[in-house]
Amino acid sequence: MAWITKNSAGMKIEKRSEPYLSETLKARFRSEILPRYETSMGALLPTLHAVQHEHGWLPHQALMEIADFLSLTPAEVIDTASFYEEYWLRPKGKRLIAVCRSIACEFCGQPEITEAIKARLGIDVGETTDDGEWTLVEVECLGSCDSAPVMLVDEKLHEWLTPAEAVKRLDEKPIGSASSHGLHG
Amino acid sequence: MNKSASQLGSRKAGKESSRGTPARDAPIGNGPRLARVRISVSRPRLSHGTLETRKKHRGARRVRLIPDARKARPTLGTAMSYTLKAGQPILTKRIPCWPFADPKGRHVVSYDEYVRSGGYEGLRKALSMKPDSVTEEVKKSVLRGRGGAGFPTGLKWTFLPKLTTDESGVEADPGARYLAINADESEPGTFKDRLLMDFDPHLVLEGIAICCYACRIRTAFIFIRGEYHHQAHVLETAIKEAYENGIFGGKGLLGGTATGRGGPFAVECHVHRGAGAYICGEETALLEALEGKRGWPRIKPPFPAIKGLFGRPTIINNVETVAHLPSIVEHGSEWFTRQGVASTFPNGMASYGTKLMGVSGHVNRPGCYECDLGIPLRTLVEEHCQGMRGGKKFKGAIAGGISMGILGPDQYEAEMDFDIGRKHNVLGLGTACPTVFDQDTDMVAVARNIARFFKHESCGQCTPCREGSGWLYQLLGRIEEGHGRTKDLDLTLEIATSMGSMPGTTICGLADGNNWAVRTIINKYRAEFEARVRPTFVPIRMTVGAMAKG
Repeated sequence: MAWITKNSAGMKIEKRSEPYLSETLKARFRSEILPRYETSMGALLPTLHAVQHEHGWLPHQALMEIADFLSLTPAEVIDTASFYEEYWLRPKGKRLIAVCRSIACEFCGQPEITEAIKARLGIDVGETTDDGEWTLVEVECLGSCDSAPVMLVDEKLHEWLTPAEAVKRLDEKPIGSASSHGLHG
Repeated sequence: MNKSASQLGSRKAGKESSRGTPARDAPIGNGPRLARVRISVSRPRLSHGTLETRKKHRGARRVRLIPDARKARPTLGTAMSYTLKAGQPILTKRIPCWPFADPKGRHVVSYDEYVRSGGYEGLRKALSMKPDSVTEEVKKSVLRGRGGAGFPTGLKWTFLPKLTTDESGVEADPGARYLAINADESEPGTFKDRLLMDFDPHLVLEGIAICCYACRIRTAFIFIRGEYHHQAHVLETAIKEAYENGIFGGKGLLGGTATGRGGPFAVECHVHRGAGAYICGEETALLEALEGKRGWPRIKPPFPAIKGLFGRPTIINNVETVAHLPSIVEHGSEWFTRQGVASTFPNGMASYGTKLMGVSGHVNRPGCYECDLGIPLRTLVEEHCQGMRGGKKFKGAIAGGISMGILGPDQYEAEMDFDIGRKHNVLGLGTACPTVFDQDTDMVAVARNIARFFKHESCGQCTPCREGSGWLYQLLGRIEEGHGRTKDLDLTLEIATSMGSMPGTTICGLADGNNWAVRTIINKYRAEFEARVRPTFVPIRMTVGAMAKG
């Protein structure tokens, strides 16, 4: 549904004084990521990933900072960012549950998994809990059809789920933000 | 779980006692063939894992998921009636997979372990050859792309513009050429590349190095889907190891080894993460995503080999395709063509080599298996996957990723090779990852699930795909809920048939996948759909009897 857009002309952008794209991140990108690509736009996806990894989602101010950093127009940045499902242009909970609803998972018991999580958290698919902790979404194939049904909690894949097991997995401690995807080391 | 342990114990004691339980001898699915397999007691070549680890594994995982099946199945199901033509696994040499070894022993193969077990020998041999000879060898092997379309890899490489060199071997065109590895494995049902990236990343990196040398490419990008967090991490760690050990960067491939081309040849390799868009698996959309744009497929020509990433010549290969390169170069093309099968069509292109086949759905032991191309679907399901779950009947299987269409109940014997499309009225072999359905599956729901996927993933560039996929989903949803009419069924087929690059209405093949999937399901299970729709009555005004004259 990447092609559904909304009219944002005249929208007021909330701003904070502290930048989203920190100087350390910029320095790292200048030395490691930018040299890989012939155009600065090539580094757009890694930059968006990195900012979202730090902040949880991509506020408009962050998009403008990224545009500035990569010498792009804000329109170009939002054009790309709005296409990809993984980029959140609105706030989401601290932790994200993505239940796979594709073919193998659906026919191996995914609907019950979703229902169990919905009941446990008291939210519907696409919603965030009131305390801002959890967001629940259903996504297409997570590439683990042999161990269906599966769900992705943040960056961890949970396989061979049963409704009871799925709910239990939510109590696991979140994994640290040690991973630095898009960057070596 | 306990039961499993005791059964294993008895199995250990001898075959007679292991066959004692009546439940085990009960015929399942298609009995006779299976029985032959089950009785087999010859201990398979178990290069990975011990009996103890197998015990743990089988006890831990299966019991929760398939309780019925466990009662009826032998616990040590390493059916060895199937062997690979090469005698041993090739792609999964270092990754334990059924039926040759227990997956419990899987771990990420580090650089040191990879080299110890004969790794980077293919690259060493490639570097001693001229780049064109490597390409020629790959061409002779008839290695076909493992990403879905089955286009011959060697031929694809030759589409790159020729590089003229002067006497000292300096290239006339100093501009960049790129290799993009397609690791955007997002098609429902497909999970084969994940296995390689999860456990044997250096095999992929060696393939990349060989491809780069053969095509004289200095920069490779691995485009991996955003959801593969763990795999991206494993790859990045492996790339770091490869840099440290002189495979990539710095002095040149393999620490600056002199090459058949002249001096050393240096290659840079990077991981680029996607962000959750299925369409980026289409090769030109992948390039757009690498350039930081929205993943909209490009109109071809120009083809990527001429004008690809950043407007430069680019080769796009699948992960599994490049993983085949080290063994092809090491053992030669002739060795490779002894595996798999030749085409049964006159002048048809052969399906040589092995293929990772990931079976999911209603089978007892879903998983990723390495098989020779041409293995019948029945063998794959009944032997490798130990039959249908709960002893139920086979109803159908998605050929290989949902866009390929469905194999009906009468096509259980279908041979999994690149001829499958022409023989069995499906789009093609795809990724050879079948999703299997048992007798209780609602095929209308299957069609609806698939239509929803394509509606969700259409990039929105071409009207027939964007609108058509939405309407197909609506129509199928209506039929599933019981509100459909006969004419809806005809309309569904009409819409499906008119969208795609093969009818010539869209830029890329995404709509073709939608078209084939929906169309083959409705055609092969028409009765099931008809039972769900109400007939469409056309009111006709008619007077009967004496008054009819007027």
